[in-house]
Amino acid sequence: MLETTVLSGHHDALSKQKRNSQLMTISTDNELRTGQWEDALTLVAINQDKAAYAELFKYFAPRLRAFGIKMFGNEQQAMEMVQDAMLNVWRKARLFDASRGCASTWIFTIARNVRFDMLRKKQSRKDDISADDLWFDGDYPEQESNSSDNWDTMLMSEKLAPHFDALPPAQRMVMQKVYLEEKSHQEVSDELAIPLGTVKSRIRLALDRLRGALDDTRS
Amino acid sequence: MTHAVKFHPGLMLLEQYVEGSLSADVALAVSAHIDLCPHCQHLSKDITNDQAAELTEQQVSSRDAEQEWQSMLDFITSQPALSPSRAGLASTSPQVSSVTVNGRTFEIPRALARLAEKQNKWLQLGGIATAKLPTADKQHVSLLYIDKGTEVPNHTHLGLEMTLVLAGKIVDENGEYGVGDLLINSPDDTHTPRTLADEDCLCLSVLSAPLKFNKGLTRLLNPLQQFFY
Repeated sequence: MLETTVLSGHHDALSKQKRNSQLMTISTDNELRTGQWEDALTLVAINQDKAAYAELFKYFAPRLRAFGIKMFGNEQQAMEMVQDAMLNVWRKARLFDASRGCASTWIFTIARNVRFDMLRKKQSRKDDISADDLWFDGDYPEQESNSSDNWDTMLMSEKLAPHFDALPPAQRMVMQKVYLEEKSHQEVSDELAIPLGTVKSRIRLALDRLRGALDDTRS
Repeated sequence: MTHAVKFHPGLMLLEQYVEGSLSADVALAVSAHIDLCPHCQHLSKDITNDQAAELTEQQVSSRDAEQEWQSMLDFITSQPALSPSRAGLASTSPQVSSVTVNGRTFEIPRALARLAEKQNKWLQLGGIATAKLPTADKQHVSLLYIDKGTEVPNHTHLGLEMTLVLAGKIVDENGEYGVGDLLINSPDDTHTPRTLADEDCLCLSVLSAPLKFNKGLTRLLNPLQQFFY
């Protein structure tokens, strides 16, 4: 069900880098920097490294279980989801592409899709909407511009201050470090022990929220 | 795709889409919108990263159910990995597919490609044609084709109506909608969508309840509401 990915080639990675250097005024951090889980997945992909997989498993399986219990409301289905998702991680490790996101994101989407298809199957439906229909596992063509990048200049204006306080705590923390303490994305990533991609994501989400808040006050 | 998408799903809808907690047909409309909308492609990617980070930030006790974990781990690593040939079959670029109606062929988004292959046959009524997509939900998912210069009679929604413009343009009392625009009408919203004189329109329509037609002779359509539903 989850087999719609292949490793994207060098071309993709290069064009992404090029785009970043042109458009990312906030930072020029290298997106391809990998961490321990990305490295572990690569080892599993290359030679089915059981030790590397066991490390991944020890970290992610209990977390997926907690996630599953939250979503299903029961232990048995949660464990079924963990086994299915972690089996996919083992079998499809070579489909993981670090240039497109971090390991935890890849594993999260696998678990989300497994869970979705489990729920649909339970209702014994044929010809139905599947996780593969709903969540595209690949790259959309590069676009000319991402308007949220232009919003950093607006950020400090007083208009935004009250909305800034209303941001979800995780996003506000990142925004504060980047915009008020003027730290680099990498520094924030190290300091909060979260992946660099997550720092960037939270910034963009926060910017989008702030823009939404501004639009509301205008209309 | 040069048209700038103006009508997007709200942030909360996108968050539920990423989480996987929307009902499948509503998620399908959101997914097809994302296929057509670079802005929401970025947003949903960011939301995915954010939710994945929440997954890793969860507190777990490491010594829980150790025996069960060990046997699961042993089972998994005894399984063969996916062969490279099977892994190489798929593509990372969205696949293009199309539907043909009224002698016209339209490209449709990736999210609808597989289901559109199994679409029911087109039912035509005046300048309007619909074809159901086989989804087994309470909501009804169909492709809706409106020929140029055609008005869909004024109607009220008994439930939620989501309309995603896939090709062409549609106009109603509230505005003009182009490719990628997602209209969400709640119960009690009343509108009269129509096409312009020189451009037809293909939409994805997701309905949670039949439409009710309001005016004059079109009330005669109400027994025919199954056509739209």
